[in-house]
Amino acid sequence: MTFRGMRLAVMGVAIGLAAACGGSSPAPVSQPAARALKIAVIAKSSTNPVFLSARTGAEAAAKELTSQYNVPVEIVWMTPPTEDGQVQAQRIAQAVNEGATAILVSCSDAGKVTGAIDDAVARGVPVMTFDSDAPGSKRFAFYGVDDIKTGMAVMDELAQQMNGKGQVGILAGNQNAPNLRKRVEGVKEAAAKYPNMKIVGTFYHVETPQDAAAEVIRAQNAYPQINGWAFIGGWPLFTQALLTDLDPKKTKIVSVDGLPAELAYVEKGLAPVLLAQPTYLWGYESTKYIFDKVQLKKDVPEIIPMDLVRVSKDNLGTWARQLQTWGFTDVPEAYLKLEK
Amino acid sequence: MLRRVLTSPQAGLVAIILLLGAVLTATAGTHVDQRTGLLVNNFLNSYTLIQTATDASFFAIMAVGATIVIIAGGIDLSVGAVYALAGVATAMVLRGMGSTDPITAVLLGLAISIGIGLLSGAINGALVVGLDVHPFIVTLGTMWILRGIAFVSSGAESILLPRPVTEVAKASLGLGDALYPVPMLVMLVITVLGSVFLTQTVGGRRVFAVGGSQEASRFSGVPVGRVKIGVFVLSGFTAGVAAFMGASFYGSASCADATGYELYVIASAVVGGASLSGGKGSAVNALLGAVLIVLIRQSIRTLHFDQNYEWIIIGCAIIMAVVFDQASARFATRRLAAATRR
Repeated sequence: MTFRGMRLAVMGVAIGLAAACGGSSPAPVSQPAARALKIAVIAKSSTNPVFLSARTGAEAAAKELTSQYNVPVEIVWMTPPTEDGQVQAQRIAQAVNEGATAILVSCSDAGKVTGAIDDAVARGVPVMTFDSDAPGSKRFAFYGVDDIKTGMAVMDELAQQMNGKGQVGILAGNQNAPNLRKRVEGVKEAAAKYPNMKIVGTFYHVETPQDAAAEVIRAQNAYPQINGWAFIGGWPLFTQALLTDLDPKKTKIVSVDGLPAELAYVEKGLAPVLLAQPTYLWGYESTKYIFDKVQLKKDVPEIIPMDLVRVSKDNLGTWARQLQTWGFTDVPEAYLKLEK
Repeated sequence: MLRRVLTSPQAGLVAIILLLGAVLTATAGTHVDQRTGLLVNNFLNSYTLIQTATDASFFAIMAVGATIVIIAGGIDLSVGAVYALAGVATAMVLRGMGSTDPITAVLLGLAISIGIGLLSGAINGALVVGLDVHPFIVTLGTMWILRGIAFVSSGAESILLPRPVTEVAKASLGLGDALYPVPMLVMLVITVLGSVFLTQTVGGRRVFAVGGSQEASRFSGVPVGRVKIGVFVLSGFTAGVAAFMGASFYGSASCADATGYELYVIASAVVGGASLSGGKGSAVNALLGAVLIVLIRQSIRTLHFDQNYEWIIIGCAIIMAVVFDQASARFATRRLAAATRR
């Protein structure tokens, strides 16, 4: 077959298939609508481990609900590989076009996704947000921590570890994420209560563990007087880099998040306190709230607060076992064996 | 007529797009529409088709400009940053003006976006010609500078655009609720303009001449420097148009917008058959390249492939599309040579 012949054949097959599959107009349904619940989950980034644990939680809740109510609940993971509000908006639209019953989203950029959320709701698909809200949209509920209070809690814990004096750097993640900006505000607001503590600077970075760790090391070299770090997300602690680059006797860290990789920092005393977001519950609880709203027609509160878990040497073992129960496979054995 | 269509330079890409579309239609499954209760194919429905075109439109508009730069033997890595700066500047000015009538807001927004795009393109072109530095280096530098300006000026805030501007970008034009064809139409208009410029004007022929051989063009009296500056201005123009469409369609602009899009834009041009060594390319093919890339992204989700494989699949698909296109070109050349011998 010549190349032109091949092209003709390819086009012929394509046109034939397209024709065989019918036009773009929907065909009438002969059967009653299926009662399966298809929930599209659109987190900020599929390369961030906290969202992977949310996915595990959502899938666990779906499994439980399926067996409990005999209604098939399916989780469709539509999270972009990297943070991009525009791509999230596109995926919300795609989820609706492909028949999602409900959508669960953590907004990278509230301004970008608000229109897409409103369009989805207008087309009969309820939307719930978690972790990072789009308060101006028509989403029916938000589940997550109060970000201002989280920032304040980080600073209060740090002040306690530093005996109320010293110089502090804030590690702030992506400067476009509204939830992270609020946490930074919270840290600064709480810092004002401690006259002997000074905020040296707020350091933004790409939200990958390596970029975050590199930013901490760069900032520490530029400002050697920093002896306390307020991490509003745990990114650098997902690497082991700071265990060798920072001295626990000179520097203290208090960080949001408490994933398995971060536990070594608690043990070594470099991060004596982690304020863990039970990220598994983002998926687990939100899926249940969506089921309540869509399937059981129950009222769901608009704002559902999530409580932080304080992780220190006092409960390292308990927390490690909790993480393992939630499906984390990389929890170090040594911490699982701790009594509490 | 059919013969001309089937032997046209676009036939290979169109065939791939149609084939992929047919496979998606056949395998995507169906769902019950929440509002109408009707059974709808997950891919072959008006919402998905227009959404796919909309997703492609922001890359495709920029890809037309980038293709013109590539045909002239250059490259523009700054298009994503121009997009971000133009969007942020537009949003800031419109926010600063407060409430204004919709027509003024739209025209002013468009003028600012295009103005920033033209200015950025002119700076790129002037630096490339004036400093005689490779455009890869110049636009790599301006990519960071322009994004940095967007960052500093916006304070990293996501700035909302006035609702009337969004309403224009999301006008349904009588198609029905939640069907927004405006970005797609703008993409088609820009592609037609790009195609007419490249194939029907003296300026377009000069672009091909400069990309084919700069020295020969100079000896032939082609103002090489002006052509080079001109192609960057056109690339800036398309980035400005895309920025206005993107910011107004999604309702906000931030300095992080379009991060990494330059690679999608260049990939669209290359998948569309543009040669990175210059002298070859087409605006229509750039559009088809963008559509193909977006369709591949779409298919990963429609066919329920593991999302984690997205980058691998897109990378492989880009290489396969280019190999397919090059094979097509080789067959065409051989056929021509054989016909000449006869």
